Amino acid sequence: MSGSAILVEALGKRFGAMQAVDGVSFSVEPGEIFGFMGHNGAGKTTTLRMLLGLTRPTGGRAAVLGHDVVAATLEVRRVCGYLPASYALPPDMTPREFLQYVAAMFAIPRATARARGEALLRRFGLEAVADRKLRGFSTGMTQKVGLAQALINEPRVLLLDEPTSGLDPLGRHELLEHLRALAQQQGVTVMFSSHILSDVETLCRRVAAMHHARLIACGEIAALKREHGATTMDELYLELVRRHAS
Amino acid sequence: MTRLQWLDYRAALGERKTYVAAALMIYAVLAVPLLLAEPPPHVREVIAAWLADEDPFALFMFVWIDLVMNKVIAFVPVILASGVVLRERDTRVLGLLAAKPLTLGRYFVIRTVSACAVMLTLYAVTQVPAVAWFHGQIAGFRAGTFLAAMGLHACAAVFATAFAATVMVAVGRRGAGALVAWMLLGVMVGLALVGFYQPDWYALTLANPLTLGTLAMGNLQQLSPAVLLPPMLALLAWTAVTIAAGARLVRKMEV
Repeated sequence: MSGSAILVEALGKRFGAMQAVDGVSFSVEPGEIFGFMGHNGAGKTTTLRMLLGLTRPTGGRAAVLGHDVVAATLEVRRVCGYLPASYALPPDMTPREFLQYVAAMFAIPRATARARGEALLRRFGLEAVADRKLRGFSTGMTQKVGLAQALINEPRVLLLDEPTSGLDPLGRHELLEHLRALAQQQGVTVMFSSHILSDVETLCRRVAAMHHARLIACGEIAALKREHGATTMDELYLELVRRHAS
Repeated sequence: MTRLQWLDYRAALGERKTYVAAALMIYAVLAVPLLLAEPPPHVREVIAAWLADEDPFALFMFVWIDLVMNKVIAFVPVILASGVVLRERDTRVLGLLAAKPLTLGRYFVIRTVSACAVMLTLYAVTQVPAVAWFHGQIAGFRAGTFLAAMGLHACAAVFATAFAATVMVAVGRRGAGALVAWMLLGVMVGLALVGFYQPDWYALTLANPLTLGTLAMGNLQQLSPAVLLPPMLALLAWTAVTIAAGARLVRKMEV
């Protein structure tokens, strides 16, 4: 466990009377693509936000690459890339300017930032629109810029919250291929939340399932399917939820 | 961090609100000589009361600073500061940026310093060319005195920008924050020259930062670094304290 890229132990978050995350524990190994599935409001986003220090836990602890998410928040953010579920890009900037801006937030030297920015623009096919204002970009283009900014610091851990929602089938396929390449070629640990279960199955070997703030299962997809007699991800998830309810 | 500050300043310069602010200031520069062609009688009376003569340049400076630029710094800083952190939060840009290795307080400082730098830039690009325009329009116009007085006034404008940004994050809502900032700056502007009209209150009015920005008005005949530097330094200190207060307040903001 000590070599885990992400380690979460009994993590909890309460907003007033509402328990948003309740005693969640799991770990993610380096270089793994880890799926985090659950219905809307299950607690996936709150968990990811706690991993980045954007929301303070009210119980338990978590660490990313050994950095405690509360005590060493800025260290965690330095090694992470993050794409939230709901976000917008600064409308008056161009993709090229925005990538340089984000690079400066990481204090990446100018020449390195330029080289990385250009490489990311090429990688995501954004060269043609690199100098166009971000105002009016389509969802797919916005998501490409969003993912590019999450990679500008060459993160060792990538946290993605519902990255495929809102994308058309081609955009989803491209994004999933990018994530697979990042994990396989660069050893990046990817944790991505989704309620699109086919995406989770396409990409991940292991998953965690959340339901009403609680972790109801965590393990290899194949093993979980066998254990619960499921043939598809939908069946697996429904079976997990049913068992939890009973 | 210097590079981030520079990039943020450039981004702020390119925002639409900067063009609106620039348009307001250019309009002021172009319109004032026309206003001065037929000054209202009460303006002449007031200037005679505390300058003891009707030097056309003094009259112009009174109109320019009190009736024009003091009004400008009640509005333009609110426009420039309206996007500092709150707009990023409301438009969901902050959700992305807050996950970077930068505290929210630090981000507020960067954004506010950029807004202040944009304010200074607007002063430079309007007041310096205005010298040529005013020279041909205003009798007895003295370019050096004008620029020195406006240099001090620019410091007050910078303070007003930092003040507006801090008030807005203190209020926590863009619309209400802008209204409160505009009202408070309006009160400060309204009281800025009270000490000139009522000498007994002069010392008291020095507690108003916007009064400090107008102190050149009482010394137009002999403006020197000894007259300008103390209020400039005081305004810089006010600005730094105000930004620090804003950075402290913004830490409590939920992203």
